[in-house]
Amino acid sequence: MVSRFSRVAGIAALLAASFVGAAHAATLTLYSAQHPQTVTLLTKDFEKQSGIAVRVHTGEGPQLAAQLVAEGQSSPADVYLTSNSPELMLLEGKGMLSKVQPATFGEIPAHYSSPTGVWVGVMARENVLAYNTKMIKPEQMPASLLDLGKPAWKGKIAIAPSDGDFLPLVSAVLALKGEAATLEWLKGLRTNAQIFDDNEGVVAAVNRGAVATGIINNYYWARLHTEMGDKGTHSALYHFGNADVGALLNVSGAAVLKSSKNAEVANKFLAYLVSPRAQQLMANSKVTYEYPLHAGVAPDPILKPFNQINPPQLDMQKLGDDSQAVALLRKAGLL
Amino acid sequence: MAMTQAVQPVIRPATQPTTPARHVTVRGRASFWLFGAAACVALLVLLPLAFTLRQALGFGAANAAELVFRPIVGELALNTLMIVAAATVTSAIVGAAAAWFVERTHLPGRKIWAVLAAAPLAVPPFITSYAWVSFSESLQDFNGALLVVTTAYYPLIYLPVAAALRGMDPALEETARSLGLGPWTRFFRVVLPQLKPALLGGMLLVALGTLSEFGAFALLRFRTFTTEIYAEYRLSFDGSGASMLASILMLLCLVCLALEFRVRGLSRYDRMDRGARRAPARYHLGWGKWPVLASFAGLTLVTLGMPLGMIVYWLLQHGDAAITPVEVSLPLVLDATLSSVGLGLAGAALTTVLALPLGLLLARHPGRIATLLERIVYLAQGLPGIVIALAIVSLAIQALRPLYQSAALLVVAYAILFLPLALVSVRAALLQVEPRLEDAARSLGLNRWQTLWRVVLPLAGPGLGCAAALVFISVMTELTATLLLAPIGTQTLAMQVWADTAALAFAAAAPYAAILVGFSLISTWLLMSLFGKTAVLGATS
Amino acid sequence: MANLSVQGLGKQFGAHSVLRGVDLTVASGSLAAILGRSGSGKTTLLRLLCGFERADTGTIQVNGHVISGPGLHVPAEDRRIGYVPQEGALFPYLSVADNIVFGLPRAQRRARHRVQELLELVGLPASYADRPPQALSGGEQQRVALARALAPAPALILLDEPFSALDAALRVETRQAVAAALATAGATALLVTHDQAEALSMGEQVAVLWDGQLIQVANPETLYRTPVSPELASFVGDAVLLPGMADQGYVTCALGRLPIAKAAMSGGGAGAVSVLLRPEQMRLAAGFEHAEVKGRVLDVDFYGHDACVRLALVGAADPLSASVIVTARVPGHTTPRPGDEVAIVVEGEAVTYPASGR
Repeated sequence: MVSRFSRVAGIAALLAASFVGAAHAATLTLYSAQHPQTVTLLTKDFEKQSGIAVRVHTGEGPQLAAQLVAEGQSSPADVYLTSNSPELMLLEGKGMLSKVQPATFGEIPAHYSSPTGVWVGVMARENVLAYNTKMIKPEQMPASLLDLGKPAWKGKIAIAPSDGDFLPLVSAVLALKGEAATLEWLKGLRTNAQIFDDNEGVVAAVNRGAVATGIINNYYWARLHTEMGDKGTHSALYHFGNADVGALLNVSGAAVLKSSKNAEVANKFLAYLVSPRAQQLMANSKVTYEYPLHAGVAPDPILKPFNQINPPQLDMQKLGDDSQAVALLRKAGLL
Repeated sequence: MAMTQAVQPVIRPATQPTTPARHVTVRGRASFWLFGAAACVALLVLLPLAFTLRQALGFGAANAAELVFRPIVGELALNTLMIVAAATVTSAIVGAAAAWFVERTHLPGRKIWAVLAAAPLAVPPFITSYAWVSFSESLQDFNGALLVVTTAYYPLIYLPVAAALRGMDPALEETARSLGLGPWTRFFRVVLPQLKPALLGGMLLVALGTLSEFGAFALLRFRTFTTEIYAEYRLSFDGSGASMLASILMLLCLVCLALEFRVRGLSRYDRMDRGARRAPARYHLGWGKWPVLASFAGLTLVTLGMPLGMIVYWLLQHGDAAITPVEVSLPLVLDATLSSVGLGLAGAALTTVLALPLGLLLARHPGRIATLLERIVYLAQGLPGIVIALAIVSLAIQALRPLYQSAALLVVAYAILFLPLALVSVRAALLQVEPRLEDAARSLGLNRWQTLWRVVLPLAGPGLGCAAALVFISVMTELTATLLLAPIGTQTLAMQVWADTAALAFAAAAPYAAILVGFSLISTWLLMSLFGKTAVLGATS
Repeated sequence: MANLSVQGLGKQFGAHSVLRGVDLTVASGSLAAILGRSGSGKTTLLRLLCGFERADTGTIQVNGHVISGPGLHVPAEDRRIGYVPQEGALFPYLSVADNIVFGLPRAQRRARHRVQELLELVGLPASYADRPPQALSGGEQQRVALARALAPAPALILLDEPFSALDAALRVETRQAVAAALATAGATALLVTHDQAEALSMGEQVAVLWDGQLIQVANPETLYRTPVSPELASFVGDAVLLPGMADQGYVTCALGRLPIAKAAMSGGGAGAVSVLLRPEQMRLAAGFEHAEVKGRVLDVDFYGHDACVRLALVGAADPLSASVIVTARVPGHTTPRPGDEVAIVVEGEAVTYPASGR
């Protein structure tokens, strides 16, 4: 027994040694709220191209923003890549982001980046209503997102209020319609909606017919379609028109932290993210399904052409930093 | 015990008075240091508990009330309690029925069924969840959640009930027959009352496991306290909402744990030890054996065939069927495997070392203080991984900056989570070292440390190895704390399964899931053949 | 209460025959003991009687009603045969009172029917009713088990080694209490035991089971004084076995010429025989220089009230006595010392068996 034990201990020591050896020195630390698959795709390519290793800390956008605030000056993060602009606006408001090199903004339309030049837009996606094609017809779709809070929609709608993508929508309604209307809408949703943890859950529920419609960002449906194939897809997307708040465009952006000790490398990574090469990589990936913001790169053909979507008139500043969204969701009983 | 949570809840301290009264000599300074070290370990366990409560109390009554009495808490409470109640009942029915057929009938192949019925403990619940979700999305509701947790946790009832059935005195049933009781009345008036402690204890362990379960529910998108704590964490990092929910969940768990302690105490009292006895009589099933065999085959198919089959299925799918833009390359898989193994080894080493002083104290200086410290350590069983992890994140960022985001902190979290598991084996191992052997060594001129090194460790070594190995498996399959505390850049097998499944990339998750389950099944099997079933499954009998 | 009658009972487990042709009758209201070594089949016999196992051959009748026979097997729960298992087997989760009323209909259970009466019958105080069984000593548990078996007024009570787990002092006391309770209840009872003292002291009739067969059924005195074989003689007590020559009601052996017991005459009329004596038949006396049979004390096992003395016979010319060693049981107050030479006088009669090829 004893000798057997010592042999086991020997093997263990060997394994421990190899583990220690496997950890390599990283030079760029990325806090990412983007999907791991997308990020791995980008960082591997970046590493190959630049020779700079990237350590990734993945989390939900608001979580990472709060974490960066809590960590403050001693944060290990160099770059923050997130999926919704309000999180960047929060850090911008706290003065935690450093200026992006002007050249980086080059090909990205100005209104998709920070008003003060501290973060750059990378990708965008549209808020949509996914619907089950067997349960409901396109002509029955609501004219406005706010209609979904009305009694007629009871039991016919799914939402994911704790998904990072839902907060900007609440902020957008708040910005455009005021607090009273927003709260009324949310309370209506609480009565009407089935609640899920995230957009993946919503779109899957709609697709399998558990619920007729669901509020999601468009690319979740595209990913589901890729996973399930044409045969398994029993759902389609409805795009809100008339610049309704429901067609909100969420901008995914990136920034360099002021606390970064690797500003130069960090800026290189930012420039890479908006380069045609990276943007093309994402557009072709069959996993990201967001609109590349680089003017010269076409999105995946499964998406509605970028110039045909009709988002509400709402700039980044007006959309704000989601500071009231969580409180409103709690008040409405959705959190 | 997932072997994470799967193997964990089975842990029960060995029934106290099994040790013959030893001569307890207070060895001055040595025992002082021992008490000190053991007390520090107990404090380590209390730390996240106290910190969570402190966070919760720090909000002020008004804020706390607002956070606690919001509508969603009621909804989650209902969801959580419903799944806990349902999972406990279905696990009890499945587990007790399986145990009865294996132990009390002439079921063909019952030795194999006995192993297969316990084996799901070695499959982490979130892997089972992954399998079912990737099989059909329509399982993402209450029924799916119930299916998965029952699958994962019914062995917690099967094992103690089977042990109770095995240990049952056949004379009791025979006496009842001679007093005129037929088969059914015998079952209800003689068998069931004797199973009560095992059954109740097992049910409470299932309840505890279900309350703490995170991964399985999250992948099934079924909302409970744990998933909502995680949701809050995703929205606000270490915000108030998460710690309030964590406090409520922690209290629920501690209530379960307290009840379990109580039931275990009662069961000790209820038993009359009567030496060796005949094995209980077995019933002939006749033609009834076919439906029973079919049920066992079905159970195995659902609990083992399904997870393993789905993993194999997804391993064979490539490209189109799943979102696998990043080729699952060998280096990536190797990287994740090494991370998991490395963390597992570190966790096993630290946990076993931390269990030593308390184990020694319990073996050498039993008494009120030792029992109190032991109880405190067992409290960790009532702390869901997500609560411990959340407390440690907050603690690190507020007070322990140098340790923040370090692997060391994660390993400490593992140690807190799995100390009870290690303590059971460590204590048993040290009890095997008789004090008179130490006395003999001392009389031959060895000092205290030489005695420890040359006498105690060689004798207790295998048992300590068993403890370390159990912790190793548990760490490998741990998801929740790993998810919250993994150092930047570290990807473990469990984290990869989690990330890929959350993104519906089932084929991408498959290799990681396969390695994880392979590790867990093989090492559990190895442990059982090396140390025997009871050492691995805790003192369930 | 009723009588029990067993005819030709047989049971096999696989190829192994455990019981063969067992015939036994227990009179109504009497207590019979089945005595046998472990492995003799006595537990199987009891389990056949209870109905836990099914007999292969033979019939069992209680009060003239067949409960087991060819093509008939009344299940245990319908036999009305009370069973007191080894070590009592009280239901650990029930109080003493609930144990006692366990076999009664629900209404009587609620009313704790006859609990006080039965406790008194088995000699336990009424205050024991609410105690958990764990709080009772082994002997007390055994008595509660008897009360439980008696409560539904069964036709017959079977006791399976009920005293074997008790220590010596408790055993005698419990034995007496159980015997008294059974007598008071007028119960027909069958006690299964491997302890010959227990069988002899309790059974009005003792049946010896030997290798699956009943080899002797007799009252205790007969069994002890004239066992049917030398092996049985050794089993039911300490035995001194010597070779001898029988002739006309007397036998000549190393201890002299002794009368043969009448009851055992058939054991061997004339010629070479084995002679059975009990150690307590030997009287030892010092100072008889010219005694016919003398022995030198080899060693003494002193027990207090008596002692066992091993002796080597000396002096006699008879070649039969050469190197013969006998055991004598003597009162504790006149114990010789090793090395003493003493006279040996045999009291009472000898039992003889045909000389075997030993």
